[in-house]
Amino acid sequence: MRPRVFVTGVGIISAIGNGTGETLASFQNLKTGIGKLSLFDSVHAEIPVAEVKNNNSDLARLADVHDGKAAYTRNTLLALVASKQAVIASGWIDTHEKHTGTVFATTVGGMDFNEQYYRSLLENDRYKDLIGVLDSADCTEKIAACFGIRHHVTTISTACSSSANAIMLGARLIRTNRLQRVLVGGTDSLTKFTLNGFYALEILSPTGCRPFDRNRNGLTIGEGAAALVLESEEVADPKRIICEVSGYANVNEAYHATASTIDGFGAILAMNKALESACLQPSDISYINAHGTGTEINDLSEGNAIEKVFGNSVPPVSSTKAFTGHTLGAAGAIEAVFSSLALRNQILLPGLNFTVPMPELSFRPRQKVEPHPIHHVMSNSFGFGGSNTTLIFTKV
Amino acid sequence: MDLAEAIPRLSLQKYKMKATITASSVISPQHTNSAHGFPQEINEIISDHLSCLEPDYGTIINPIQLRRMPRILKMGLASAQLCINRAGGISPDAIIVGTGLGCLDNLEKFLLEVLDNHEHITSVLPFIYSTHNAVAAQIAMLLKNYNYNITYCHRGFSFESALQDALMQIEEKQAKHVMVGGIDECTHDFMLIHSYLGYWKQPLSNLQLLNERSPGTIAGEGSAFFMLSAETGNGGPGVSIEGLHTFFTPSSATYIDTTKEIDLFLGNIGLDKRDIDSVMFGLNGNLASDASYYTLQKNFFSDSTNFLYYKHLCGEYYTASAFAMWLASVILTGRHIPDVVKLNNRPDKHLSNILIYNHIHNTEHSLIFLNYGRI
Repeated sequence: MRPRVFVTGVGIISAIGNGTGETLASFQNLKTGIGKLSLFDSVHAEIPVAEVKNNNSDLARLADVHDGKAAYTRNTLLALVASKQAVIASGWIDTHEKHTGTVFATTVGGMDFNEQYYRSLLENDRYKDLIGVLDSADCTEKIAACFGIRHHVTTISTACSSSANAIMLGARLIRTNRLQRVLVGGTDSLTKFTLNGFYALEILSPTGCRPFDRNRNGLTIGEGAAALVLESEEVADPKRIICEVSGYANVNEAYHATASTIDGFGAILAMNKALESACLQPSDISYINAHGTGTEINDLSEGNAIEKVFGNSVPPVSSTKAFTGHTLGAAGAIEAVFSSLALRNQILLPGLNFTVPMPELSFRPRQKVEPHPIHHVMSNSFGFGGSNTTLIFTKV
Repeated sequence: MDLAEAIPRLSLQKYKMKATITASSVISPQHTNSAHGFPQEINEIISDHLSCLEPDYGTIINPIQLRRMPRILKMGLASAQLCINRAGGISPDAIIVGTGLGCLDNLEKFLLEVLDNHEHITSVLPFIYSTHNAVAAQIAMLLKNYNYNITYCHRGFSFESALQDALMQIEEKQAKHVMVGGIDECTHDFMLIHSYLGYWKQPLSNLQLLNERSPGTIAGEGSAFFMLSAETGNGGPGVSIEGLHTFFTPSSATYIDTTKEIDLFLGNIGLDKRDIDSVMFGLNGNLASDASYYTLQKNFFSDSTNFLYYKHLCGEYYTASAFAMWLASVILTGRHIPDVVKLNNRPDKHLSNILIYNHIHNTEHSLIFLNYGRI
């Protein structure tokens, strides 16, 4: 018998706030986190982004980082802030009271430090102490060191589906009896690297993203981190259980390095397989937190896929990326936390910036926080390289 | 913190773990790219790094598909395709890749365009290919394979995490055949930056790697892919992965009790250290990090154990344990330990298993247990 997997604590920091309280308030007040770039100078300064409102020393304070000798990238600080919240919320006391692991995810890791110090590093060794924190594993190892986690420590990097895959792996580590508890999540800080990459791909919105709108004009890059404590049913404190990770699937569309098919073949496959793994019918889903980046292709592809899977009874859908921006490797975990908030509070979460429906689709994204009976939430995360992951969270 | 305290008070859950290696393909600094086991001739190089002997890619993959592709993708696609050919053309139920640094060369290229060229980007391709999952994704596209596809990027755990996921896929009955790979490339800038940390020795013969007794190692790279299968059904002899364990010790740790972890691991797979015929160490010539291997050789394992090493053949890199797993599997299949990998000289004896122990800077430690028998 495979144990059930429960979420017992969540943590989040994004452009719409630090912690679940601020996050929910931003949703209630329809307050976007998208605004003007302030973290670094860029020739693309006119393009809106979704920054976390704290500077690095603020984050270090929130993360309770005391080790003056070690270097902390913004990426890792965000991860630590979210992880500490999740760990505290779960009632975690001693790491070794349960078999505990950690799986984190990121796309560009310590790129913020690369941008500041790489040029200098090619010339001399002045910043040699920073070399060890430039990669993707730094966030995970700092988390493991912080909480004394020794086993099942790893990092996933599958572009924008990264942290959805970290959640899936965490759940599988519990279901195959390798772990009783696992801290999972994702982090990505805003970088010049990704801003320029998406700019060069011509998919950045000049106005702020408008998911599922006919006049959508691209995505908005965001930053942030989210973490979830997953525990097996045999060790989870019933009072702490927020929801269950009931279904998951990862597939590859094998179509194009950056684009998805118009009919959403990969998204259909991911959603159907996730439903199958949760033993659910499409009609069981109460709310879909869509990938919904606001690009021409994603929203058409994902929208078509949703209509194919759900037919004439598409449940309420929204994309929260008009609030947080697209947080890349963190998006899956951030939206998993949103899914858990929807379940715990029995509410639908809104999108923003929607005015004109897409002619190709029958559904319209939700526009405000609404009380609604929520039993099962589906969360989609799709990434470069055709990496498509769907997670399902269930009310306990 | 004393990490001896940190070993879980509960013993780890026991779980069934077994997969058979049904095919492999390795591009490395040695002549490993044939299906015929251990190479006849060893490539001796005098340098501070070992580069792969790359095959003629056009004979393996349609050159049109390789156009404008960075080197690491060519290496990954070619070894994946050869692995599939050797597995009889099976399209795997999952594609899982471990890479410490991903497509590093493209990442550096794009980063320098952003930094030096005032954000005027001449080509977006390096950005697209810089994503760490580019190798696994391109393999899926090459094969039109829509199945589970994932990439681990965690220093010295990258390949091990991929392997663990592969074993779980089989155990969960989500997959019968999984292709798992470990791949990393060495770049000029990576060598330069890490030279500040004293990572590399002065140029030397790779075959003298352990003889200098000095700080630093020799850099390496490689691409190793394996087809793992739940069962072969043929009942003939073959090599199975029967255990995998990783443990992390942060640099702040004052004390690492590796022997406790090894005992714990062997106990979980129902073995005692006396059952181990051969141990393959990740010795890399760096005095500080090699000490722990020599201590285990001297104080932990029995004198009759064969001790082997491999990094003089492939160099040091985050996924070198994938090369080690290939080497161990060809040794077990060939029933012979080549002199060039022997650390000690034991009379030839019954050889039925190899334990691979690797660590990177005493931080990411991994144990992989391979067994030879009926599969």
